[in-house]
Amino acid sequence: MKLKVPETFYKLLFDNMIDGLACCQMILDKQGQPVDFIYVKTNKSFEKMIGLKGAAGKKATELTPKITESNSELFEIFSQVSLTGESKRIETYIKPLLSWFSISAFSPKKGFFVIILEDITSRKKTEKNLENEKAAARNVLEDLSTEKTKVEIAKAKEEAILLSIGNGLIATNETGKVILINKIAEKLLDKKSREVVGENFSEVAPMEDEKGVPIRTEEHPINKALSADKIITVATISHDYYCVRKNKTRFPVAIIATPVILGRKVIGAIGVFQDVTKEREVDRLKSEFISLASHQLKTPPTIIKLLAERLLGNKIGELTKGQREYIGDISLANQRMIDLVNALLDMSRIELGAFELRTTKKDVCEVIRSIIDESRSIIDQKHLRLRIAPLGKKVELMLDETLFRTIINSLITNAITYTPAGGEIEVTCRMVDKGQKIGGNDIVETSFVVIISDTGYGIPQSQQDKVFNRFFRADNAREKNANGTGLGLYIVKSILDRSNGLIWFSSRENKGSMFYVAIPLTGMRAKAGSQEFVDG
Amino acid sequence: MTEDKKAKILIVEDEVILSKTCADGLSDEGFEVLEARNGKEGLELALREKPDLILLDLLMPVMDGLTMASQLRLDDWGRNVPIIILTNLSDNNKISEALKHGIFDFLVKSDWKLADMIARVKERLSKPPEQN
Repeated sequence: MKLKVPETFYKLLFDNMIDGLACCQMILDKQGQPVDFIYVKTNKSFEKMIGLKGAAGKKATELTPKITESNSELFEIFSQVSLTGESKRIETYIKPLLSWFSISAFSPKKGFFVIILEDITSRKKTEKNLENEKAAARNVLEDLSTEKTKVEIAKAKEEAILLSIGNGLIATNETGKVILINKIAEKLLDKKSREVVGENFSEVAPMEDEKGVPIRTEEHPINKALSADKIITVATISHDYYCVRKNKTRFPVAIIATPVILGRKVIGAIGVFQDVTKEREVDRLKSEFISLASHQLKTPPTIIKLLAERLLGNKIGELTKGQREYIGDISLANQRMIDLVNALLDMSRIELGAFELRTTKKDVCEVIRSIIDESRSIIDQKHLRLRIAPLGKKVELMLDETLFRTIINSLITNAITYTPAGGEIEVTCRMVDKGQKIGGNDIVETSFVVIISDTGYGIPQSQQDKVFNRFFRADNAREKNANGTGLGLYIVKSILDRSNGLIWFSSRENKGSMFYVAIPLTGMRAKAGSQEFVDG
Repeated sequence: MTEDKKAKILIVEDEVILSKTCADGLSDEGFEVLEARNGKEGLELALREKPDLILLDLLMPVMDGLTMASQLRLDDWGRNVPIIILTNLSDNNKISEALKHGIFDFLVKSDWKLADMIARVKERLSKPPEQN
């Protein structure tokens, strides 16, 4: 059937089509095997694509030898197509042309084949980019997935750690609602975590004092931590607090609460607590031991003292001069022992940690005045002048009165002991603001400072750094007074170190000494090492 | 108002020598002195003899000083008898607690002389009883 389309149309098509077209004829060898082919007719596009002109009539091995070499599979395909008549299409990279082509081949007649070339380089490029992007995206997804898993693992680890730490843990949000309690807390409080989430901390961990009076919400350490504006630690050191279980029984508790701060805001609080029944028991035993040791150690010397007193009072007959002297010496030696035992017991109390700060609000100046009054008779006996420079106004501080008395008494006794007759002792009270300097020392918080100075023997320069050491006595002190224990200043400093106070001094041999004691306005507060504990 | 002479003092103290020495010192001053070796004996003796003043040690076997004093205070007569504590104890917390509850009047500090104690006794006896 003849087509109505004129031949010129086909020519136009042939010359203008974008794809390259080549009509080829296979060349067979004697055995009938394809060895080469001739480009019978090629269109402009084809010639442009392979970069060669005047392809018609040329052999492939002549015209496109490089391609025949680099893409030998094409020759195979063309052979197949020309022999079998089966159409084929492949996409391949032709290196000599540095391009990707889609090559279709069909056979119009046996021994002949037609190649249609389409340059698909840009398409391939786009495809490759897409592949790359896909691969990149896949990588990112994998990385994200890995990171997510890592975060999940970390979170799980953290939770596992939190849940299994050896102390009870309770975490709240910023309004005090519990968000988490760990296993130990569950056991201690006899409540399950899921029961308590969302409840208020004061209901989850209710606390009361030793008398059974519930602690007010504002007093609860967790509440104090939540209302703090910086990192502080609220610890229940000097209170005997108890925590009440679900079944209404209670256990002695030590709780440390800290705020959780993100940026500048408090976003919650964490309370770490433990059952301290055993610790309280040990403390009680320690205190009991010290009381007992105290009693047992002091009794024999007390007896000796009283017996000597009666003998020296001629109550058991008149003493000879020699007898009086000896018994007097027994008395003195005995007094040394009493002083030593007292000092050692104070020291044990401090060192064994049976040291408990029990503070009440006190008028500092009043307390100091009463201590001075107790020493007035000795001061008069030694013919020493006493000057007092009081503050003029009432200052009330949280003080452990017993310990404060020990401190001031010790310093006043030293002043008296180490000042010869006719000398002077002065006790001055001052309020010193933060940032001011006094006695050569910078004050870091506004404090009450008491200065005890004397015109006595002073402390030799070379020995001043040892003065607060245990059992240390300066040479001149040893000389003037055989009886000191060397523990007085050590004990004073130990107390002040543990109660947030300060002590320092200045002294000149044979001129006198000035001892400074500073207690911050916030009062005597328990201090464990370098951690600051706000007493909860 | 009781007079110093022939006033009856009860010493409750488990240390024999200590008790005897104090007793001797007080007798020399003209007081009649009774001694008990522990809180239980002391309680019985106090309720029976009704001394004008009691010198009480704190750490004793069988019944300690604070327990004896608290029990004594439950008695009508026992509520008013002056008690002076003799102690070597430095457990001031327990003692100040007891002081607060009016269980005893004075605390003689641990480092005392016999003369001090005698002076305290005389001083306490000269105070009118309503001051309890």
